[in-house]
Amino acid sequence: MILNIENLHKIYDNGTHALQGIDLSVNEGEFLVIIGLSGSGKSTLLRCINHLVEPTSGKIEFLGKDITHVRGQELREVKKQIGMVFQQFNLIKRRSVLTNVLTGKLGYLPTWNTLIEKFSPEIIAEAMQNLETVGITEKAHIRADNLSGGQQQRVAIARSLMQKPKLLLADEPVASLDPATSNSVMQYFEKVNKEFGTTVICNLHFLSLVRRYATRVVALKAGSIIYEGLPSDIDDNWFRTIYGEEAEEVEIR
Amino acid sequence: MSSHELPHAIIGAKKEREARISLTKAILLDIFFVFYSIIVLQRAVYYKLILDLREMPFAWSEIGFIFIASVILGALWASSRTSLSAKLFGVARESKVTDLTTELFGWFLFNITFISGWIITKISIVDIFSPDGIDGAQRIFGSLFTPEFNIFDDALFAIIETIYIALIATLISIPPTLVLSFLTARNLMKDSKTAFASYYVLRVFLNFVRSIEPLIWAIIFSVWVGIGPYAGMIALLVHTIASNAKLYSEAIEGIEEGPIEAIAATGANKLQIIWYAVVPQIVLPFLSFTIYRWDINVRMATIIGLVGGGGIGTMLMQYQGLALWKEVGLIVIMIAVVVWIMDYISAKIRESIK
Ligand SMILES: Nc1ncnc2c1ncn2[C@@H]1O[C@H](COP(=O)(O)OP(=O)(O)OP(=O)(O)O)[C@@H](O)[C@H]1O
Ligand SMILES: [Mg+2]
Repeated sequence: MILNIENLHKIYDNGTHALQGIDLSVNEGEFLVIIGLSGSGKSTLLRCINHLVEPTSGKIEFLGKDITHVRGQELREVKKQIGMVFQQFNLIKRRSVLTNVLTGKLGYLPTWNTLIEKFSPEIIAEAMQNLETVGITEKAHIRADNLSGGQQQRVAIARSLMQKPKLLLADEPVASLDPATSNSVMQYFEKVNKEFGTTVICNLHFLSLVRRYATRVVALKAGSIIYEGLPSDIDDNWFRTIYGEEAEEVEIR
Repeated sequence: MSSHELPHAIIGAKKEREARISLTKAILLDIFFVFYSIIVLQRAVYYKLILDLREMPFAWSEIGFIFIASVILGALWASSRTSLSAKLFGVARESKVTDLTTELFGWFLFNITFISGWIITKISIVDIFSPDGIDGAQRIFGSLFTPEFNIFDDALFAIIETIYIALIATLISIPPTLVLSFLTARNLMKDSKTAFASYYVLRVFLNFVRSIEPLIWAIIFSVWVGIGPYAGMIALLVHTIASNAKLYSEAIEGIEEGPIEAIAATGANKLQIIWYAVVPQIVLPFLSFTIYRWDINVRMATIIGLVGGGGIGTMLMQYQGLALWKEVGLIVIMIAVVVWIMDYISAKIRESIK
């Protein structure tokens, strides 16, 4: 078991009760997909895991260690082992693709060297290797904001690979992309999951993508888990429970 | 305690606290509004407009009485949740009464403020059209438009001095401004209590420094280091640091959070996050503010010169004191030309680095 969450609650400062007692275990090598309506707490759950938001109560164990309340250097050690990919890519727009990928290594390098932007040839080679994994080595020296959305997301994946993560979190990684690009980006997550054995937890909106990539699905509603099982087990009945009576499935290929 | 009670208690407490704070703010603002209205009505409208008094009667006891009355009225009004402040802070009741009172009171405040402003400014149609006044104006404008060129060399030297004073003040300001702007950017300083406390103290201090005009700093420093360009430069420097730290820190607060989160999520430390996620987003705005500030400082250096800060301002003051209007005319024209050129150049540079 790589991740174990018990009775996790998150209450934001404005009183919003975004997570209401989540219990969830994730095994090594899984491709876990989290689904649920907008506002159901998917992002909050992912962001609690790597402390982009602080959990309010409950327990989070990562690799057998309680990380619910770690801080400072100890927290950074945890973050180094958990990669994250965002819906808006969150690259540094004005810097080159290569520099963006290199930033994934910051936690592993001496502060001073990184501030004068001195990276050893081995690390640059590793960055190029990761760019090759996502198939865009030829763009290494182009400014990040000159890439298309799909390419930017692949750079973001390469950046997280620099961390050699045990766990990769992806918060709606394809929600800003067109259907064809979505599929190609999802294939890189699959590749990372299968080839490197990296555990992936991914928020998704489209069930067709869920069925294709997930090894297990968890559905959230109003901050609680209401379904947990195989993607193939999501039938019409479950679909309406998760997304509401009015909902109709939209196909994306 | 069961695991379920805990979060609910927290939610309730957080919401309640927020509502209480908003209501307290509304009460304080309403007290101010009522106090302000009574004072203005009494002084501007009753004493000035109706009684047309020359001397304003003033008694602390009276002010105190009005204040106590305002506290009671304001608190009652805000607590009824139909007041303007209640609406501003989002704690008002939804009702016709609220809509009507807030609208009427808003108009009322605007009108009494405008009327008292008119009275205080002593606006007078007679003065601006008096024959004596127009005569004097004609004489000065006449001289200004027939400038005397024999002081051109001196004036040129003085104006170059002014430009350099402004330039040095701007350049020296950059390092301290950078440090201060990071320390006063809310999004970088909210992590711990100590960071937030120092953020707060620094902000208050910078606001205080900024609220003192460069002219006054120049007077202070001319006593400290003696009259001349040095005093003028320090005055500009102090004000530039305080103003630009605010502009810079606002630029930092306005940057995209996304890249910061992404870099933080890799396990990078604070300095690395700043260097990789914050700095690339702010270099251009910073450069642009700094160049613009040089331009502003040239104008300010001129004004500061009037109180002995050196450069063209000091020269202007000397000739104005001697009533040599033609020389003054030349100096004014040269200032205008330089300001115009600086304005043009700085706009061009700022455009090109966008
Ligand atoms: N920083 C915040 N402060 C206050 N409330 C927040 C914050 N972030 C999220 N929330 C609230 O928490 C709840 C869960 O939000 P969250 O972003 O986790 O949902 P989500 O399932 O990711 O939705 P989406 O599909 O729209 O991304 C929502 O009600 C949201 O308004
Ligand atoms: Mg979300």
